Parts: sequence; structure tokens; C-alpha cells
Amino acid sequence: MSLSQAATTRSRDEVAAAIRTFTPADWARLKRVAAKYAFARPISPEDLIQEAFVRALDTRVCPSDIDVVKFLAEIIRSVADGEAEKVEHKAKLVPIANTGGPDDLAYDIADEAADAEVRLVEAEHAERCVAAHAALVALFDDDPTAQLILEGMMDNMAGEELRELTGLDKVAYDSKRKAIRRKIAKHYPNGWKP
Amino acid sequence: MTGKGDKERIALSRLANAFTDDILSASDEDILTELKEAGEDPAKNAGEMRALFEKTVLLANKKRLSAAKAGAASVREVFAAPVTSAVDIRAARARLRQIIEAPSGAHKVTLAARKESEMSDSDVLGMLDDLVELGILSRPNDADSD
Repeated sequence: MSLSQAATTRSRDEVAAAIRTFTPADWARLKRVAAKYAFARPISPEDLIQEAFVRALDTRVCPSDIDVVKFLAEIIRSVADGEAEKVEHKAKLVPIANTGGPDDLAYDIADEAADAEVRLVEAEHAERCVAAHAALVALFDDDPTAQLILEGMMDNMAGEELRELTGLDKVAYDSKRKAIRRKIAKHYPNGWKP
Repeated sequence: MTGKGDKERIALSRLANAFTDDILSASDEDILTELKEAGEDPAKNAGEMRALFEKTVLLANKKRLSAAKAGAASVREVFAAPVTSAVDIRAARARLRQIIEAPSGAHKVTLAARKESEMSDSDVLGMLDDLVELGILSRPNDADSD
């Protein structure tokens, strides 16, 4: 790490010190973020948070100008995405013997029979996502506007587009979006379970 | 290529990203209310999260300590002085001389060995080894029995 980089990043001790000063609201934010990413994934919010702590202390570099709660939230997202990718891709490629150097790894399609268990995990994960998605949409069957916003968020639509689509002004839209988040949190406090 | 559930998985991931932005920018009051509505006590949650963090720090420190110990051990291994058997050549020459000059003359020592002062160190040691092998001498460690 160069001197200029060191000056613009937090040391391990500085990250730890910042975490130790978190307020109950900061901890609540972290817990809610982890709960969102653990939703329908085969990992608990606590495991996501703990892994984020490990990476924050050992492998990740925290820029000085980034809020440490945001820094941890980004790691949680990265861990959750990594877990999902593991489930999806681990069945597809396996290393095979090769005559090159240690870095010349060669891969082949995994043995179908040996892969049965992993494919089952993949299928379960896919089913869980389909069911969780349907359950979330159904939760707002009694509120078409909320349902439209929810589906728009899932389609990666921008807030402005959704406001236009629903005819809500910014205040009403923000309020609706908050209500959607809180209803999901209240209905699925521990994430979605099959 | 998209498989079954991919569309939904991506949709859920986008939703989590969007909600995370909202959660990070929400007021303290809002976020504490949301936590309470999810059936959690903010103070209890903070205590549990702090404990989880301290436990993680402890585990990370232990891991770093183990890695540091392993690193130090490998460095010691690389830089350790080669193991050599210390041989006191003066003592070896004295021992050979003692045999050569023994009044009993019981030991049949070659003519070359009689000129111990003209022999190289390795010749002296070689001669002593030969005598041991012939059973004329005991090993230096067994010197008490000579």
C-alpha cells in the first residue's frame, strides 16, 4: 500500500474502532440490509454480517470517505452474491488433470452422475427464488400501486419512471416505497422460508 | 443462457439492492421503527451485533496469530544454520597420538598413522573411524569405556 493510499484508507484498527462506535440505529441498518440479502438465500443474516466483519478486517480496503456502515453493507451484498453464484456454478465446471504448470488449470463439464446432489441444491435454490418472488408480489395483492412499484423495483426501473407510471409525487412515492419495505420486513422478519 | 428461477433470482437481488439504498439513507427513527415492527428490540440487537463483532475480531486475531507463527517457523527453517556435528580436531589428534604411542603396541597401526603430525584433519578423522570399525577403538561417545 502506497503512502497516499494509506492516507485515504482506514486501517484495520480504524475500521474496528468505527464499528465499536455504531449506534443502535447503525446496527439496525446493518441487520435490515443483511435480512434483505439473506431473503430466499440459503444463508442467515447473522452469517452474512459475520462474514462481512471478517472481510472488513482482513481483506477489504475501506476508503476514508466511505461511511463504515455503507462499507459493510457493500461487503454483505458481495458475500450474498458470491453465495448465490456458488450455488449456481459449482455444478458446471470441474478441474481436470493437465500436463502444464500449476497455473494451467483445465476444466471440464462435471460428471453428470456425481453432480446429482449439487444439481438438486441448484434446483432447490431456483424453486426458492420463484416461490419467494411470487410470495412477495402476492403480499401486495390488495394494493395495486404498491405492487406496481415493487415489480418495477424488481425490473430495475428508476424512481422517476415509477413515479410517472403510478402518478405519485415524490413524497407520496417515497412514502409508498417505505411502506412496502416495512410491510415485507414485518411479514418476513426472518426472511422468506419455503 | 437463463435457467429456471434466474429471472426471479435477479429480481430479488435488484430489490435487495434498492432496499439497501433506502435503508442506508433512512432516518434513525425510521430504521429503528422498522426493526421494532419486525419484532426486534434495537438495544438487544445492538448488543448481539456488538458481541458478534467482538467474537469475529477474536477469531480473526487467532487466525492472524497462527499465520504469523507459521510464517515465523518457515523463516526460521529457511535461515537456520545447517546442522553440523562439531568435531574437536585437537582432541581427535590427541586420541590418535595416544594410540600410536601406546607402550603396549597392541594396536597394529599403519606406518602412515605414526606420522600423525603430517596427516590432514580428514585423514586423522578417517583413521579414527577405521579404528572404530576394526573394533580397536570405541566411539567417542563411548569414551568412558576406552
